[in-house]
Amino acid sequence: MNTNDKPISCDVLISHLPGWLTDDLSTAERAAIEGHLANCPACQQELATSRQLWQQMGTVPTPQPGPQVRTQFYAMLDEFEAEEKEARSGTLLGQSGALRWIRDRFSPKLIMRLAYSALLLGVGVLVGYWAQRQRTPEVAYQQRVDTLTAQVQEMREMMMLSLLENPSATERLRAVSYTKDIDDTDSQVIDALLMTLNNDPNVNVRLVTLEALADKAQDARVREGLVQSLTRQESPLVQVALADVMVKLQEKRSLKSLRQLLKQPGTNELVKTKLEKTIRQLS
Amino acid sequence: MLKVKSGDLNRMGLLFERYHRELFGFLYHMSSHADASEDMVQTVFYRMLKYRHTFTGEGEFRTWMYHLARNVLIDSEKQNRRSAQQYDVQAYAERIGGGPLADESLHKEQEMALLQEALGRLSADHREVLVMSRYQELTYNEIARILDTTEGAIKVRVHRAMNELKKIYLNSEYER
Repeated sequence: MNTNDKPISCDVLISHLPGWLTDDLSTAERAAIEGHLANCPACQQELATSRQLWQQMGTVPTPQPGPQVRTQFYAMLDEFEAEEKEARSGTLLGQSGALRWIRDRFSPKLIMRLAYSALLLGVGVLVGYWAQRQRTPEVAYQQRVDTLTAQVQEMREMMMLSLLENPSATERLRAVSYTKDIDDTDSQVIDALLMTLNNDPNVNVRLVTLEALADKAQDARVREGLVQSLTRQESPLVQVALADVMVKLQEKRSLKSLRQLLKQPGTNELVKTKLEKTIRQLS
Repeated sequence: MLKVKSGDLNRMGLLFERYHRELFGFLYHMSSHADASEDMVQTVFYRMLKYRHTFTGEGEFRTWMYHLARNVLIDSEKQNRRSAQQYDVQAYAERIGGGPLADESLHKEQEMALLQEALGRLSADHREVLVMSRYQELTYNEIARILDTTEGAIKVRVHRAMNELKKIYLNSEYER
């Protein structure tokens, strides 16, 4: 611009640019500008770009403030008036400056937020307290343990029952040993065990089963099953073991079965001696 | 305002109704943030009530209002210095780009967004005088009183601001 052949005039013209943009010029100024522009394409260009930009700036929209601005303002005004009144009466009562100091530093918004936080905290504490009263942790813990124990028992039972069907004797032995861990044996388990005691092809399995059943002899069904089992056993080992169990249980009902077994022709001589001894001990 | 000063706080409502839009416009063009501007409007009016004893009645109420508004803007800028909130022209261009706009109006919208961004990148001094004269339609004389300087100084500042804006805007247009 300053390379123009009329540098001073151009500078003057450019200095009028702000007034020219807002149409804030005296008649003389306007005339001078127009006179210069007629002979100076560079300044014409300069002013044209500026004006174009100025007009474009006008197209940038100015949004309106939201309606909440008004409500918030009147709320603030009310509060302010109330505070003023309070402050005036406060000074009469000799109120200390501390309260006002606090009020000055905490805007209404901040106070609302603080109050909200305090409320949330309070609700949290109450809920926690209520929950604790409702169910003390130890009770809840105990309940959970009980549920878990019950579930484990159930699973053991199921596993045991299915294992008893297993063709492998080892597996069946394992199944019988599981019953030692089951505290409240239900009829299903007892039936399964008695069935094994009477029918299992393997002597060892039968012996272990007998042992397991003897542990549960406080159950009437088990005792009855054992007594009935006496005449069905063929293996001398099991017969002797059964006889021992009868003595241990002091089961007098077994006398009849024992005598019957004694009279059976196929009974082993050693077993007979044992049976006689057992009968003597029981009667 | 003098009545407000002497204790008639209800008059404040009248001033609010008359000036809050203008004030919001100023704060919006200075900060490019509508939500923040609404909050600042609130703060300015609160300070008017609180510091009403500082209003001497010599100057115009409007001048005083802009004084307070500038201080509020400075405070909020201090707060936001870390989280610089710049007008995201890229997002804006994408948003309008997706719409079924005619080519011409799309072009205009993009130009407008670029111009708005260019305004945002001006130094605060320059931006201020342009916003005051272009959007607030204050005369250079009024601006000079608000900024406590002479009309000549304001005109020089407007001139420099226009040059800076031209540079930023034309560069950004060229970059496209």
